[in-house]
Amino acid sequence: MLEVKNLVKTFNSGDGAVTATDDISFEVPDGQFASIVGRSGSGKSTLLSLLGGLDKPTSGQIMVGGRDLAGFSDHELIGYRGRTIGFVFQNYNLVPNLSALENVMLPMEFARVAKAERKERAKHLLGQVGLADDQMQRRPARLSGGQQQRVAIARALANHPKLILADEPTGNLDSETGKMIFDLLHDLSRSENTTIIVVTHDSEIAGKTDRTFRLKDGKLAKKT
Amino acid sequence: MNPVSRGVRNAFRNGVRTLSIIIILGLSIGLCLTMLVANKAVSSKIASVKSSIGTTITISPAGFNPGAAANNALTASQLDKVKSLPHVTKLTETVSDRLSTTGSSQPSFGMGRSSGSGATTSLTSPVKLNLNGQGGAGGGRIFVNGGNASLPSNFSLPITFLGTNDPDSLNGSSVSLSSGKAISGSADTNEALISAAMASKNNLKVGSTFTAYDKSLTVAGIFKSSNQGDEDTVILSLAAEQRLSGQSGSVTSAIATVDSLDNLSSATGAIKSTLDSNADVVSSEEQADNTVKPLNSVKTVSFFSLIGAVVAGGVIILLSMVMIVRERKREIGVVKAIGGSNLRIMAEFMVEALTLTVIGAVIGLLIGVIAGQPVTNTLVDNSTTSTSTTGGQPGAGGFGGGAQMGERVSNGDQGASRPGGGFGGRLRNTGAVRGIRNIDAQIGWGILLDGFGAAVLIAVVGSALAAGMISKVRPSETLRSV
Repeated sequence: MLEVKNLVKTFNSGDGAVTATDDISFEVPDGQFASIVGRSGSGKSTLLSLLGGLDKPTSGQIMVGGRDLAGFSDHELIGYRGRTIGFVFQNYNLVPNLSALENVMLPMEFARVAKAERKERAKHLLGQVGLADDQMQRRPARLSGGQQQRVAIARALANHPKLILADEPTGNLDSETGKMIFDLLHDLSRSENTTIIVVTHDSEIAGKTDRTFRLKDGKLAKKT
Repeated sequence: MNPVSRGVRNAFRNGVRTLSIIIILGLSIGLCLTMLVANKAVSSKIASVKSSIGTTITISPAGFNPGAAANNALTASQLDKVKSLPHVTKLTETVSDRLSTTGSSQPSFGMGRSSGSGATTSLTSPVKLNLNGQGGAGGGRIFVNGGNASLPSNFSLPITFLGTNDPDSLNGSSVSLSSGKAISGSADTNEALISAAMASKNNLKVGSTFTAYDKSLTVAGIFKSSNQGDEDTVILSLAAEQRLSGQSGSVTSAIATVDSLDNLSSATGAIKSTLDSNADVVSSEEQADNTVKPLNSVKTVSFFSLIGAVVAGGVIILLSMVMIVRERKREIGVVKAIGGSNLRIMAEFMVEALTLTVIGAVIGLLIGVIAGQPVTNTLVDNSTTSTSTTGGQPGAGGFGGGAQMGERVSNGDQGASRPGGGFGGRLRNTGAVRGIRNIDAQIGWGILLDGFGAAVLIAVVGSALAAGMISKVRPSETLRSV
């Protein structure tokens, strides 16, 4: 269960303090597929950063497995990001000089998984997201956008995370490939019982998720 | 794959940039190693010169000028006082003269005369003078007829007649006879020791006679000379030379031997204070210091160049790594977002810096091996040439070799002060300079280890700022910059 309670994040800018998320509270049970929608600047990416432990909230709580992220040390946050969370980015963010297989193995190396085991699991995951054997050895530059996003999803799944956070995963893809990626995430949430939170502009995608949170000016405007 | 292999692989991500960094680093490390080689070689030479200094003190009459027609002499009472000083174990007294060969022509000089007493000898010098440029030895300039370097066709170098109370040693080295017998330093006989080169040049053997001062002298023994400056020297007893040259009772140079190096300084002080302003007193330690003076300047130059090269290498790798980190900021954020720790990422970048530096060090090593000896030679040559030029002065008489007293004597030429000056001084100066120029600058294991140590230091220092930048990259930037 992911619980967000009265979450506030403010930034200091030249014009004074800017509140990116303003008193947001919601819950997402394990295994659910949720979406966060809203206009640009509504605070979607900030919320995702806070949920992923990439940033610290100004106030409020993020409870993951009964523990508040605010109480995590830097070392614990690294472990949280490596083992509990899986990230999928809009522009894939694969390491350019590593092959698809090595990109998927990377988070497992950080989690100190044995080399043979991480190679086997990386191959399994890449196979699961539909990458052919010869494509696994290619570097990201030699893969299409859809293939790169599949690799990114496989990387996010590498350490059996409880929560996958996807920041507009279909934003750079054509509609057909975007639909394939969405279906893939949806299937994974069912088969692996993984909680998935997707930030999206696409109302069609948002309409297919179990829950949708709409943000407006940093506030949670609507839950469905 | 681990941080080490990723770091190595990252070092080659951009071929052109990698090549540029490696070449610049290679040049920097090459300069660093070359200067290290020069510094170590020169330090070793300085240590060697200082360790080989004798425990002798040279005493000359105050203001003694080897070329002057008249000079003060050391008196018997002064020498007796020196003999009685503590730690002085031996006092070698010498008087010398330079004789021209009978029938030879001497070039005219701007000042002074061509030999000490104006006496002649039947001997011809075995030493030939090379008037082409510096003669390869870098001694003082020779001034002949106002700068015209031509000599009379029947010219022969003047010959030094050295009277000494210790004929067993010459210029601080023991005399090794190849034939004949030694002569007594106190007996007043017309017996002489000549060098093998002199004997060969003049077809003399033990028992042969030659003339000097219009007297007949007998070759008692033939000695092996260790340097060219000794080849034109004829050794007689002190009393005989005083009598023959008309310098009865005169001593123009004395060398005091001290019982140990520890007492050299105090004995020098005691002699200076005993003789006051009547004599110039120089210890072998001071002479050694004068000799290595040019090497000390090379040591200083090479040390600061070494520091400069290390700093330059550090700055090159530092700026390169800062550029690389800035370029990969997003990638660093992503790696942090998927569980990478600062330490792991820093290690990766440090390995990358180390890889670039080690490859640069290999290139630098090749440069060091190739350039070490020539650069050291050039530095030493320039330094010693400049010292000789500023230190050397043409003598007032004879050929006026441009040598400082210190340089002459430190080469083991403790009997260098001779009336009439001339080539002797020049040749000895040449030998001294040649001695300190002969430096073996090779890259050994010690220098290799030092070089690689410096390379690692450059890599660590160079990647320190990059590491600081890495630690400040916030993973949340990865999401915001989308």
